[in-house]
Amino acid sequence: MRRQRRLPRLLTLAALLGVAVVFFFPLYYLVATSLKTKAELFASEPTLVPQDPTLAAYGSVLFGRNMITLLGNSIIVGLVSTVLALVIAFAICYPITRLPTSRRTRSSVLNWALSLRFLAPIAVVIPYFTIVRTIGLYNQLPALILVYTIFNLPLSIWMLKGFLAEIPLETEEAALVDGASRWQAFRHVLLPLSRIGVLAAGIIVFAFDWAEFQFALILTATPQAQTFPVGVAGLVTQFEIIWNEMSAAAVIAIAIPLMLMIIARRHVMTGLTFGVIREK
Amino acid sequence: MGGQVTAVSAQPPKVLVAVRSRQERLALRILLPTFLTVVVVATIPFVLAVIESLTREAEGFVGLDNYVRALSNPSLYESLRQTAIYALVVVPAEVLLGLGLALLVHRTIRSAAVKATIYVLAIIPIAIPQVAAGVVFRLIYAPEYGILNVILEQLGLIDQQILWLSVPALAIFSVASVDIWQWTPFVYLVLFAGLQTVPQEAVEAAQVDGASSWAQFRHIELPYIRPLILLVLFFRIADVLRVFDHVFILTGGGPGTTTQFVSLYLYRIAFKFSDLAQASALAVMFMIAMTLFYTVITRFMPLERD
Repeated sequence: MRRQRRLPRLLTLAALLGVAVVFFFPLYYLVATSLKTKAELFASEPTLVPQDPTLAAYGSVLFGRNMITLLGNSIIVGLVSTVLALVIAFAICYPITRLPTSRRTRSSVLNWALSLRFLAPIAVVIPYFTIVRTIGLYNQLPALILVYTIFNLPLSIWMLKGFLAEIPLETEEAALVDGASRWQAFRHVLLPLSRIGVLAAGIIVFAFDWAEFQFALILTATPQAQTFPVGVAGLVTQFEIIWNEMSAAAVIAIAIPLMLMIIARRHVMTGLTFGVIREK
Repeated sequence: MGGQVTAVSAQPPKVLVAVRSRQERLALRILLPTFLTVVVVATIPFVLAVIESLTREAEGFVGLDNYVRALSNPSLYESLRQTAIYALVVVPAEVLLGLGLALLVHRTIRSAAVKATIYVLAIIPIAIPQVAAGVVFRLIYAPEYGILNVILEQLGLIDQQILWLSVPALAIFSVASVDIWQWTPFVYLVLFAGLQTVPQEAVEAAQVDGASSWAQFRHIELPYIRPLILLVLFFRIADVLRVFDHVFILTGGGPGTTTQFVSLYLYRIAFKFSDLAQASALAVMFMIAMTLFYTVITRFMPLERD
């Protein structure tokens, strides 16, 4: 019995390993290319392993091409709109999870948020482009902050709603009975209890802000307001591609959300599936 | 809380009613201003798109003329067809591959540590910004510098470069492969999580009865994961219909118009031809189509809306 089962098991393990290699080879090759020297780019044939690994491409892309400014823009836009999205989501989720509201109110709020998740950015950005130009926010960070805040509300609302619903109502009620005001109960009881959830939602929202491309491409024009992904795209569509610099920029673009998602890994799937999947 | 009171007596004491309605008022006082502001801000672009789609800069109100122009442009239908082909390649591939992997891992991997490792590895592609995914595959498919041709040449499989991104018949599949690479792990993660909820006793009972592994899937596991397959289809179709970023990086819609999917087509009309009036008409129709799609399909979603 046991020996019969070992062979297929080995085969499946080999198959899984094969899948993993196919999946991760492209990322390996990206990192490898980012570590190559300029001279190596002109070798007759591209090499799988950098001959003389160096971080030079990272330096030249960040400082030589001043992508550090775009990195700063991305971080500012990401942080501000993440905080805004979470504050608004709190104001919407607190009444629907902690206070008596009708079933219809709750489901219409949640349905609205869900429907927003499926709007096509390109369809929204066309009218938004006109608005932004009319009110003089074209090529300004606040335009991006506003649109990112709205587009990340669905995720923020659904994640917060999930986290808040898990905290028993009794915890706040105990504080209210002891004479605390609603605000005090919120500030000193609920907020500390929902810290982990807020942090997880914030991390995931920030990662999405960081990755956003279409709005930033259309609503900005110069490094004053461009975000990091727009800079990465700029390195690709040039007449001649400097492969190591393009790869280095992509590695930076990937590293930041990747680290964040790995930190918040237990909540990533919950966020992406709007609470349907709960991992561990 | 209020529910408990009404459950005890049909006529709740007056004090409790007062307390309850005070809380209800508080709820609405917090919820309504925030929610309405957000809804208004999010709806303004739509209203503006409708207005713009009925006017033209020089002429003012032009009725449905922009819609007529948009709908009589043959490129629109070409872009719809290419988007449909893309969706028909990408979505089934992702769901079948993801399902296959989920079953494989679910049935062969016992160790919790290995499962946890696979979970983290599967998150990696999801975390990658799509622009960066485009860059990654530029390195794979590009002419001259692309590593795929080099590997195939060294293995003796080809003796001439294949232009993955500029042969019209190939480009759409090269672009599709990036989507499959990036989103199959998401399908895997959702379906794997679903398989974890299948009760072990049911599986064991079936195995004692000598059920084949297909029968085990068809009659025991599938009923548990069917709602999740729907969920995955919903998310993937919605995302695929508005695909933009990695295609923009890899082909920019070309060669010709073979990868000019709906979002790229709208981008071209609006910002390359600067025809914002026609683009607004397209945007309005796109939003309405997505809303219909959304309304129909969410009825079948296993989402908790309370």
